[in-house]
Amino acid sequence: MKRARPFRLLLSLFLVGLLLSVSACGSSSGVTADQNKGDKDNGTKVTLVFQNIYPDASATNHKVMKKIVSDYMDAHPNVKIELDSLNIDQQKTKLKTQAASNQLPDIFVVNPSAQMKPYVDAGLLAPLNDMLEQNNLKQTFQPGILDYYTFGGNVYALPDGNNIGVMYYNKKIFDEVGVKPPKDFNELLDVVKKVKNAGYIPVVIAEKETWTGSFLFMNIVLRTNGGPGFLQDVLDGKKTFEDPAFIEAVDKFEQLVETGAFQDGATSYEYVEAESLFHSGQAAMYYMGTWATGGMETATIKDQVGVFPFPLVDGKGSLNHFMLAPGSAFAISANSKHLAEAKDFLNYFMLQWPKINFDMKAAVGLAQNVDGDFQKAGYSQISIDVLDLFKTVQGGDLAFDNTMEPDTAQVHLKAIQKLFIQKEPPEVIAKEHQDAFNRNYRK
Amino acid sequence: MKLTPTVLLFFLLPPLLFYLTFVFIPILLSFSTALLDWNGIAQPKWNGLKNYSDLLFHDPLFWITVKRNVVFALFSMSEIPIAFLLAAVLSRYFKNGQRIVAALFFPVILSVVVVGQLWKTIYNPLSRGGLLNHILSLLHLEHLTRAWLADPKVAMYALYLVALWQYLGYHVLIQFTGIQNIPREFQEAATIDGANGYQVIRNIIFPLTMPFFKISFVLAFIGSLQAFDLIMVMTGGGPAHATEVMSTYMYNMSFDSQRYGYGSAIASLLVLFSLLATLILNAFFGRIERRYDLH
Repeated sequence: MKRARPFRLLLSLFLVGLLLSVSACGSSSGVTADQNKGDKDNGTKVTLVFQNIYPDASATNHKVMKKIVSDYMDAHPNVKIELDSLNIDQQKTKLKTQAASNQLPDIFVVNPSAQMKPYVDAGLLAPLNDMLEQNNLKQTFQPGILDYYTFGGNVYALPDGNNIGVMYYNKKIFDEVGVKPPKDFNELLDVVKKVKNAGYIPVVIAEKETWTGSFLFMNIVLRTNGGPGFLQDVLDGKKTFEDPAFIEAVDKFEQLVETGAFQDGATSYEYVEAESLFHSGQAAMYYMGTWATGGMETATIKDQVGVFPFPLVDGKGSLNHFMLAPGSAFAISANSKHLAEAKDFLNYFMLQWPKINFDMKAAVGLAQNVDGDFQKAGYSQISIDVLDLFKTVQGGDLAFDNTMEPDTAQVHLKAIQKLFIQKEPPEVIAKEHQDAFNRNYRK
Repeated sequence: MKLTPTVLLFFLLPPLLFYLTFVFIPILLSFSTALLDWNGIAQPKWNGLKNYSDLLFHDPLFWITVKRNVVFALFSMSEIPIAFLLAAVLSRYFKNGQRIVAALFFPVILSVVVVGQLWKTIYNPLSRGGLLNHILSLLHLEHLTRAWLADPKVAMYALYLVALWQYLGYHVLIQFTGIQNIPREFQEAATIDGANGYQVIRNIIFPLTMPFFKISFVLAFIGSLQAFDLIMVMTGGGPAHATEVMSTYMYNMSFDSQRYGYGSAIASLLVLFSLLATLILNAFFGRIERRYDLH
């Protein structure tokens, strides 16, 4: 056994090294506090993990976040904030995995309504009511917006934005073809035909990411239903998916596909790929949430971009109803070891969020009131137009996957994706929806 | 150094620990989570064997994904004879065959994401300058041009082809190594006895590389059953499930539909199928090897 000892030593060293390297992988890159400051301070050092969806260091949202975080750390030397920056899909998956093993970060991102409900039901989120009262944070939010994050009277998350679904269009192409922004669905079909004949893509869409098609489709439902609340009525048992409003919407959507509204192979396009078709002037229209406005600011066609609300469908609906996209929101883990510090930081973060965003020309589509003159601050025409459109909003619907539980939502998303490649009787699509709904809600 | 148990332990324990913690235990766990009705967040509910019975008897999509995996495996295995012939020709008639093998091997070391993006561009519709469609139109075969990844009738085959392209070099390398292992004297002796090139390949090289065939076939089969990353990158299983295979279905069920129990049931069946395939292939090659008396 004598000979075994060096090996054992080596082996244990190796394993220790292994552990260290594994834990090193686990810790995230990002802002690190200045060590000296921590030494000066007598208070105990606190590390908060801040999981976010702003991974792109060149993007404005990342810069805004980084500025607020480092300002906060300068003012609070005893607090170190570790950023865990992930892209949207990665963050969703990681958070679910962390929730399953009860290892949530201190602060993280959830999505409104149905998507965050499982976390609330499982008691994983800390109520933020007390913190909202501090420094009048609550008053900075637009009226009603916090409802999407409120369950049983408690607010559980604070949104980073509030957007609406709009149709961006390329004015130069519209002029060339000789059309005006359509007010009704039939006019839209007419615009599609003319644009297509002129050799441009009528409407660009990123249907590999199934939510994009669903977002547009649900805007048609918002019209055929004569106003908001279709999915809520289904949830309340007042309507089914076999309702005429839904059947008509599927039919209209199929007409859009048949007229050749979308680019070839739309179902294989990812978000950035599709958007670049519009940015590079190859497409006439682009249906998207107003968060896309920031990207237009830097595109070469920025002065040609206009915006209009989705048209009425055979006179049904109202141009003042929009698809609403209350943003992803920051929540605090109920089991955080540093609950008080996390709340204090998030309070500061949300107070600064609109100010710093305004300074960095990214204050279009925030969930909070912004003080400042956009025109004077040098925002481009498209941003001003979008802000004007916001003023016309008189309600609307949330996206499908923010309203229904995940399994039903997936059946819906795949069903809409199928419409891009083959025509199906609307009744079949409706039944597919209703079956999935019954399976998940009426069991 | 003598191979004492301690030495063996030193070399084997770290990978074994890794294997146990990151592969073996999670697999066992997936068999137990498969018995739950669980969204991954809330308290799980006991569900008995319902996930399995739903999956096996009430989910037509599952069997379609299994069929796609099997077809995928058949395609992957069908390229192994081609890889063997290439390897045989390269080792017999080329002086620096290994350089060509290295070139063929190149796609294997590329990240799947790179390969996926590359082929996505090749498959692009004509309006986006897709290479394949462009070639077809140059050949006046316009009626064949299409959006390859968005057409549910061909999308799956388009994906098979990419995997075949990427892994051809892998199998050539395995076969090439196998052929290099055959003592030169055997081939020379056969040539002196008057055997021609074909006869040497057929009667000397082919039987002696049989163990390497086994490796190739098992790897191709298991690899096809587990195909995931390429499909996620290129189509995400779409359009409308047209390119969904078992592993992407498992992922979408677990993470998008948040049915962890159901996803785990798919995962555990995937493990069982892989084991079964390995057993069958092993038995099959065992018989062949006995026929050629390689034991």
